[in-house]
Amino acid sequence: MPNERGDAYALTALCPIRDDARAETSFATQIRERLKSIELDARSPMAKVPNTYLCRLFVLDEVPYQDSPAAYERLENKYLVFVCELHGALDPYLTGMWERAGAMIRRVWEHCVGFEEVSDAPSFVRYMKRCQVTTTYYFNGSTDEPLAEQLKALYLKQEFAKFVAAHQGAAPEEIRRAFGEFVGRVQPSSVAGPTWRPGASELDGAVVDASGSST
Amino acid sequence: MSKLDLHDIQGNILKAYGRYFYPKARYACFGVTEADGARRFVQGLVTLVTTAAPWAAKGAERHAKPESTVNVAFSYHGLREIGVPRDSLQSFPDEFAMGMKARMDILGDDGPSAPARWDPVWREREVHILVWINGNSVAAIEQKYAEVAGIARGCPGVELLRGHRGAGGRDDQDWQDASAIYADGQPTAREHFGYTDGISNPFFRGMPASESNVMGGGKVTGLPAQTGAGWEPLETGEFLLGYKDEAQEYPEAPSPTLLARNGTFMVYRKLHQNVGAFDGYLERAGSTFPGGKEALAAKFAGRWRNGAPLTTFPTQAEADTFAASWERAKGALAQAKTDRERAEAKARLADIGVKLTAFDYRGDIDGGRCPVGAHVRRANPRGALEFAQRGAFDSPGALSNRRRILRRGLPYGDSRERTDDGDHGIVFLAMNASIRRQFEFVQQQWMNYGNDFGLANDKDPLVGNHGAVGGDGGLPGGRMTIQTGASDPNPPYFCAGIPRFVETRGGDYFFLPSLTALRMIGDGSIDPT
Repeated sequence: MPNERGDAYALTALCPIRDDARAETSFATQIRERLKSIELDARSPMAKVPNTYLCRLFVLDEVPYQDSPAAYERLENKYLVFVCELHGALDPYLTGMWERAGAMIRRVWEHCVGFEEVSDAPSFVRYMKRCQVTTTYYFNGSTDEPLAEQLKALYLKQEFAKFVAAHQGAAPEEIRRAFGEFVGRVQPSSVAGPTWRPGASELDGAVVDASGSST
Repeated sequence: MSKLDLHDIQGNILKAYGRYFYPKARYACFGVTEADGARRFVQGLVTLVTTAAPWAAKGAERHAKPESTVNVAFSYHGLREIGVPRDSLQSFPDEFAMGMKARMDILGDDGPSAPARWDPVWREREVHILVWINGNSVAAIEQKYAEVAGIARGCPGVELLRGHRGAGGRDDQDWQDASAIYADGQPTAREHFGYTDGISNPFFRGMPASESNVMGGGKVTGLPAQTGAGWEPLETGEFLLGYKDEAQEYPEAPSPTLLARNGTFMVYRKLHQNVGAFDGYLERAGSTFPGGKEALAAKFAGRWRNGAPLTTFPTQAEADTFAASWERAKGALAQAKTDRERAEAKARLADIGVKLTAFDYRGDIDGGRCPVGAHVRRANPRGALEFAQRGAFDSPGALSNRRRILRRGLPYGDSRERTDDGDHGIVFLAMNASIRRQFEFVQQQWMNYGNDFGLANDKDPLVGNHGAVGGDGGLPGGRMTIQTGASDPNPPYFCAGIPRFVETRGGDYFFLPSLTALRMIGDGSIDPT
């Protein structure tokens, strides 16, 4: 299926950038500057958008020419490209994106053709779907579970590996007692926490406790 | 294919000298400041270089096996200083031009392996020409080295670069000496951790059958690995420039063609072995590991320390029986008196010896015998990555046939005190057509990472660059899972807290030219136009 693989969804959106003949700095350059100012990893505004597996924003200037006999094609516009792997259906995801990362969206998309019609979540969803191109050949590198489930699973795996290394060879009663403590600490059935922070790219500071603060 | 011109290929590419009873070696580094003198040096060396031509039987008048061998290789900077034209220089692969130091991030040469900690000659100097001599005695090496030094003396602008670490904390040695480890006065094939080394090496098309065995040395065909039909030679172009490789094309090579053909690239790495940490870890973890420390040592390597492969000989008793039959067969050959006895003994030894290499992991996909993360299984998966994914690949060795390396080199130093201090390890030489695709890939993806094996970020237990938990100064952080088979009632065993057993102490990337190319370099007659 294009765009989907199980409950994982791949969005590719090409948003045309406005013609900039009269501008002092091209809109493409302005957008690049704004993209550079977006924080990365756990501090990225996209880390706050629920169920974002991975996303990327860039400016596409031109398509490469691949030698004769390929057709020599030129783009009519420059494009702001948004590619995103996410869990679930597209509409609720884009709604969540508008709600959690609205300030970033308004700043980055400001100079895109047609974006002036966007004023709220429904109009943002409509706009992105107009800009969507089909994602073919979609391969999802992880499971298609909700992001919070995956982060909790990764956290549990890491903690369990430490537990095994620390208790290997101990008496069964001791392992049982320690495992009880372990379960009490890591709370396997609580997706809210303790878990890993969305967007974290290294272990230092990645763990958040049940209340959402770093441990 | 037509036969290889063995007289044009440097001997160490085809011959693992250790198998020819050369237990001693010397590696000498030279720097060049005058191109004319350097070319004269190369002209002189050409007359000494040992080729891959076969040696005649004992007592023959011509082509007898020499007392010592000589081989020569150049770093990128060496080729530049010696006056190789710029167009040729720019046609060499990037990683060779960058050199090993600049590839530290890819190789995982960090912390105690970082270039800042290398021997002075590799840290502070630019090594241009590497000359190495293998010999059947120290005297034979001294004699041959005197010839090399004599040539160098007559060549202005050619300087021996000192600064190799040696015994007693010295770091000003004139050269790197290496030697097999001796037991009872006899050279052994063991390295400092006690493993029998150098057992399995690639076999490629055109290679004389005497140099390696296609069974276990070639590529897997998908037929049973214990039979001849299970193997065929790898393409020559994986190991020599100018021949078709496993992708059915010529490997990336410098121009002109004559400079590249019959040459290859070589990685020199001086690898220090922390024998104290290794012994200590085996003692500690071996006290709780089922089977004890010898079994744990075998699980790390994928072979028992006597060389018997775990996947074929899963118990120590089987491995010991095999090793004893191997020793008996060697003894019988030594005792054989008539030609007929000798032929029979040789055949018997070959039958036994092939069990060391003619195996794969298709009956051991879950790692119950040889762990999925064991050293020899990581370094040469023998189709293990493909067998587990039936139907996903066109050929059963699709993922490993382009990642093979010829391993040469010898141990150095004395580790009888069994401490991490001191200067002991292996001078590791790897030869391949592409350093980036072969050696660097194996090092980065298979030694220092585990994803291809489904082992997350676990590293090779023996040679991985294990880090410390929470950064420098933390507890050792290496891990390994020792799987148990599906029918085994025991749980898997988890090794944690593995320290870094092997540290890089220097080295570089070299071009190992053909005899024709050596003459061209010496003559200054390379014309890339």
